[in-house]
Amino acid sequence: MIPRILTLGGHDFSSRPPDRAVSELMLRLATERAGGRPGICLLPTASGDTAEQIGRFYAAFGERPCEPSDLSLFRLGRRPMALRDHLLAQDLIYVGGGSLVNLLAVWEAHELGAILSLAWRQGIVLAGQSAGAMCWFEAGITKSSGRPAEEAGLGLLGGSLCVHYNNEPERRAAYLDAVGDGMPGGYGLDDYAGLIWEGAGPPSAVTARRGARAYKVTSTDNGVVESPLPARFLPAPAPAALREDIAEFRRIKSMRRRAGWLG
Amino acid sequence: METATRQIVAFGGGGFSMESGNPLLDEYVLGLARGERPRVCFLPSASGDADHYVVRFYRAFPAERCEASHVSLFRREQGPADLRSHLLAQDLIYVGGGSVVSLLGVWRAHGIDEILREAWERGVVLCGLSAGSLCWFAEAHSGFHGSSRRVDGLGFLPFSNCVHYERGSDHGLAYHAQLREGMGAGFAVQDGAAVHFVGAELRRAVASRPQARAFWLEPGPSGIAEVELATAYLGEGPQSTEDAAIAA
Repeated sequence: MIPRILTLGGHDFSSRPPDRAVSELMLRLATERAGGRPGICLLPTASGDTAEQIGRFYAAFGERPCEPSDLSLFRLGRRPMALRDHLLAQDLIYVGGGSLVNLLAVWEAHELGAILSLAWRQGIVLAGQSAGAMCWFEAGITKSSGRPAEEAGLGLLGGSLCVHYNNEPERRAAYLDAVGDGMPGGYGLDDYAGLIWEGAGPPSAVTARRGARAYKVTSTDNGVVESPLPARFLPAPAPAALREDIAEFRRIKSMRRRAGWLG
Repeated sequence: METATRQIVAFGGGGFSMESGNPLLDEYVLGLARGERPRVCFLPSASGDADHYVVRFYRAFPAERCEASHVSLFRREQGPADLRSHLLAQDLIYVGGGSVVSLLGVWRAHGIDEILREAWERGVVLCGLSAGSLCWFAEAHSGFHGSSRRVDGLGFLPFSNCVHYERGSDHGLAYHAQLREGMGAGFAVQDGAAVHFVGAELRRAVASRPQARAFWLEPGPSGIAEVELATAYLGEGPQSTEDAAIAA
């Protein structure tokens, strides 16, 4: 299985079309890895394991064809878990947003970096948004201590990442300055833009909202250059309620067919 | 300059987090803090700065009794900009429960470990329950996420610590096993009991429940020696003359 990582500039788990498109992509990547019903685990560490982030994750995946779970490093929860065994049994591990500094510090304390690196090599898809996307790179631009600042990540992916590129001008400016000052170049991701990394090859860009872009950011002799990448548009699947309506319609149609009502 | 008294009160479990309606341990630590209306700062880091926990802290430490604040390390943009000066200005720092491993990881990332040592040396009273107790010791017996493990704490107190202790429970037996395998001697403290240190010396053991106890556990040639400490109940009832003297 080729190691794969999905890095997202920013999204939510709402029922709005771009959010549904992102969730659908995650489900597809996880299902490809599983070959059947995939296990998808949320690591909400960067938020401090907030009930809100966990609740939104289950709202998106609870009714989909997968086994969602979450792993809290702050609360005992209902059942203690063997971190390593649980994570290595997944098909996709999703890391939520929050504080990049705290995320990496807590992972280090629980020795999660090595487990995640192993999961990646085993083809378990790693995914995340915001802090949960920057953590896989050599470096990112965090606002964990208030002002935007450079922070080292796990380094599974070379180069750097800056998230919320369109929405947070001060973060983008700090990133361009840092790359100009010698931080490794990398990528800028708008909210609803993402990069899919497969093996050691260059990433392919995706976008779930028209106008949301992914940029390659490089330091050149003429300064730091941002080049937009061609991106594949991710259509939103039908909302859950509509899926149920369609299923209901099909059930009625087949009943009628069996009853000889339809041709 | 006068040398400040370094004080730590480590709860096995209790206070507003665990004993709704029983403020005895919280009153005890407030009583140790300097001034009529002490400055009290809550550090909920071990819980991931859970909102509901912060709200419960402010309910338990109302404005008429003290000047309460909290520091969230997950929302640095909202709190005091200068953590060091804020924490050093406190009379009491109260650390909440959760995961001691996550707690120490986050603290180190923000330099809180160094600041707390400085605060302690300057006479700011440090206290906490559960993870907020384990953190002050050299070694902590943590039962978080299933397997029991030994965790290096901040080491202000050169002992080991086991919280939520119950004789004969899996958690308690695992602490005995850790001691046999080389963990240093230390304090096992039940829910509702706390150990109060001045410097690195035990000043007294106190309790918010008449039956709650603290123990000193020490590995020896014939197994683990467990000594029950004289534990003073803080509620209504007969008090020893020693208690009266300290309370005065």
